[in-house]
Amino acid sequence: MEDPKIKIRNLYKIFGNDPQMALEHAKNGVGKSELLAEYNHVLGLRDINVDMQAGEITVIMGLSGSGKSTLIRHLNRLIDPTDGEVIVNGENIMDYNARKLRGLRRTNMSMVFQKFALLPHRTVLENAATPWIVEGKPRKDYEAEATKWLDRVGLQGQGPQYPHQLSGGMQQRVGIARALTSNSDIMLMDEAFSALDPLIRTDMQDLLLELQAELQKTVVFITHDLDEALKLADHLVILKDGQVVQQGEPQHILMNPNDPYIIDFISDINRARVLRARTIMTKTSEDPGTTSGDIDANATLEDVIAKSGGNAELSYRVTHEGRMIGLLSMRDVVTALVPTSASDDGMRHAS
Amino acid sequence: MADLLNQTGGGAPDPSLWDTPFPSMDALNDACDAFPQSRQVTLGLERGFLDIKDALSYVLDPITQPLSWALEWALWMFQSTPWWIMIPLLGILVLAISRSWKLVAFVVLAFCAMAFIDYYVYAMQTLAVIFVCATLCVLLGVPIGILMSRSDPFERTMIPVLDMLQTLPPFVYLIPLIFLFSVTEPKLYGIAIILYAIVPVVRLTNLGIRLVDKEVIEAADAFGMTDRQKLFGVQIPLALPNIMAGVNQTIMMSLAMVVIASLVSAPGLGVLVLRGIRNLELGVGLISGLGIVLLAVILDRSTKAALARVNAAQKS
Repeated sequence: MEDPKIKIRNLYKIFGNDPQMALEHAKNGVGKSELLAEYNHVLGLRDINVDMQAGEITVIMGLSGSGKSTLIRHLNRLIDPTDGEVIVNGENIMDYNARKLRGLRRTNMSMVFQKFALLPHRTVLENAATPWIVEGKPRKDYEAEATKWLDRVGLQGQGPQYPHQLSGGMQQRVGIARALTSNSDIMLMDEAFSALDPLIRTDMQDLLLELQAELQKTVVFITHDLDEALKLADHLVILKDGQVVQQGEPQHILMNPNDPYIIDFISDINRARVLRARTIMTKTSEDPGTTSGDIDANATLEDVIAKSGGNAELSYRVTHEGRMIGLLSMRDVVTALVPTSASDDGMRHAS
Repeated sequence: MADLLNQTGGGAPDPSLWDTPFPSMDALNDACDAFPQSRQVTLGLERGFLDIKDALSYVLDPITQPLSWALEWALWMFQSTPWWIMIPLLGILVLAISRSWKLVAFVVLAFCAMAFIDYYVYAMQTLAVIFVCATLCVLLGVPIGILMSRSDPFERTMIPVLDMLQTLPPFVYLIPLIFLFSVTEPKLYGIAIILYAIVPVVRLTNLGIRLVDKEVIEAADAFGMTDRQKLFGVQIPLALPNIMAGVNQTIMMSLAMVVIASLVSAPGLGVLVLRGIRNLELGVGLISGLGIVLLAVILDRSTKAALARVNAAQKS
C-alpha cells in the first residue's frame, strides 16, 4: 500500500494553564475525568494514531465533546497539539513556520465549515474565489475558475448574489465550491452537512460522493451522524472522550464492534440500508447452480430484499466487476439484520 | 451645677455615641495640630499639577498644535464658503451617505431656516468643530479599538481609562486643560471634545472585531490569509456595522461637548446658549437650543442611514 497522505502520530491535546504538566499525567494513564478533577486540565485528545490514504474519504465520527472538531483542526494547525506529529505528504507540519504553514493551507488543504463561514460582504463568486483572492490574483484570473466550480456544485448563475440571499444548502454548496477552487488535494470537512435539513443533506452527500468519484481527493470528514459516516466512509474512525475507540473499514466495524459504546451507536441504524452484500456473503467462487440470480457486491441488503420479493428461500451469486466472488442466501440477509448486541457472540467477534 | 461645669470646661462632657465624628483629617487636626488638614490633599494635588504643568505643556503644546490649525482652518473654511455653495454641498453629502431624498430635503430646509433667522454662521461654526473633532476621533479611535481587540492586556488597561473618560462629568475635562493651554487656543476645546467623544468609537470597534463570527475567522485562517488580509478583508468589514454605530455615538457626543466647551471659547451655537443663560435672554437660549437639536437630528439621521445601508448589505 502507498504511504498514507496524512499520518497522525501519538497526538495529544490538553487544554489548561500548564498542558505540559498535565501531559505527563495523561501519558501515565490518568483518565479524562480525573485529569479535570485533580489537575483542572481538559483532555482534548489522547494518543491519536490515524493513517489517511490518498483518494479516500476518512470519516471521523463521535458525539459532541469527543474531540473530533479539535482533531480536524490539528490537520491544518488551526489548533496546535500538546504533543505528537501530523505528517502530510511525508513532512511533519509541526516543524513548519508561519510562512510555510500558510503555504500548506493555501495550496494543499481546504476546509468546509459546519456553519458555512462565508464572507457576508462578498458575492458568491468572490467567496468561491477566496483561495485565489488570498493569493492576490486579479478578478480576470479567478473568474473562470470560480464559475467553473460554482457550476459544478449546481450554482449556475448565482455568482453575483450575496450569501444571505441563498438558502442554507446553497450556501454550503458555495462553501464546497470555495474548497474546490483552491485545487488542493486534501479537503477537510467539519460537520459540513450537519446544519442542513435531512433531504438537502442527502443531496449534498450524493454530491460529495459524485465529486469524489471524479476528483479523488483526500477527504477528511467529521460527523456525529452514523448513517452519514457509513454512507461516505472508506475508512471510519470512531472517537470517544478524545480517544480512538475503533477504526477501520465501516462494514467491518458494523459487523465486529469492539466496544459497548459502538454497539450502542450501531443498534439504532437501519442495517438493511448500510450493510452490503459483500460484507455478509460466503466467500466462494464455485457456483452451486441453484442460485436465483446475480447481485452486485456493493448492493445494500435493502436492494437484495427488494429483489427477492421477501422470499427467504432464495440465494444469490455475488459478483464484483462481472466476476463471481461469493454466495448470499436470504437466510444470511435476515440474520444480519439483527443488531450485533442482540446476538450472544457479537462482541469481540474475531476481527 | 452641671451647666456651670460644662461652661467652664471643667469636666469633659460625654459626647453621645450618636455624635461621634468620623476620624476625618479635619477632625484629627482638631485633636492634634500636627495632623494635616484635608484641604492639604487638594492643595497638594494642585501644587503637584502646577509643578509638572510646564513640562507637560512643553511636550503637549507642539504635538497638539496641528489640532489648533485644523480647527482654525475648518472654521475659516465653513464660514467663508458662501451659503449658496455650502447648503447644496451638504445636501449632496447627505444624499451620498444616506441615498434618501427625504433626508436631503429635511437637511436643506433646516439649514435654510437657521440661515433665515441669522443663526447660519453659528451653526456652521458648530458643524466645523464637530467635523474636525469627530474625524480625529475616528482616525485615533478605530486603530486604538483594533489594538484592543488584538491584545487582551491592552484591553484590560484601556477599559478603566475609557470608563473614566465616559463617566467624568464633561465640565471636569476643562479644568486641567485650562491650566495647560491658553483659553484663546482652539485646541483647548478640541482636546476636551475629543477626549469626551472618542470613547464610543473605541469601544465599539473593539467589540465589533471581537464579535466577528469565530468560524469566519477560522475560515480566513484555513485558507491561508495573512494577518493583514484578515484584518482588512474580514474583520473590519464585518465589524463595520458596530464601528458605524460607534461613529454615530461619537458625533452625537461631540455635539454635546461642543456646547459645554463654549465655556472655554468654543464658537458656535453653544455661545448663544451661554448668552441666554448669562444675560437671561430666554429667546436666544431656546432658539439656539432648538438649532442644536436640529443639528443633532441631521447628524444622527445621516449616520444612521449610512449604518442601515451597511447592515442591509451584509446581514447573514
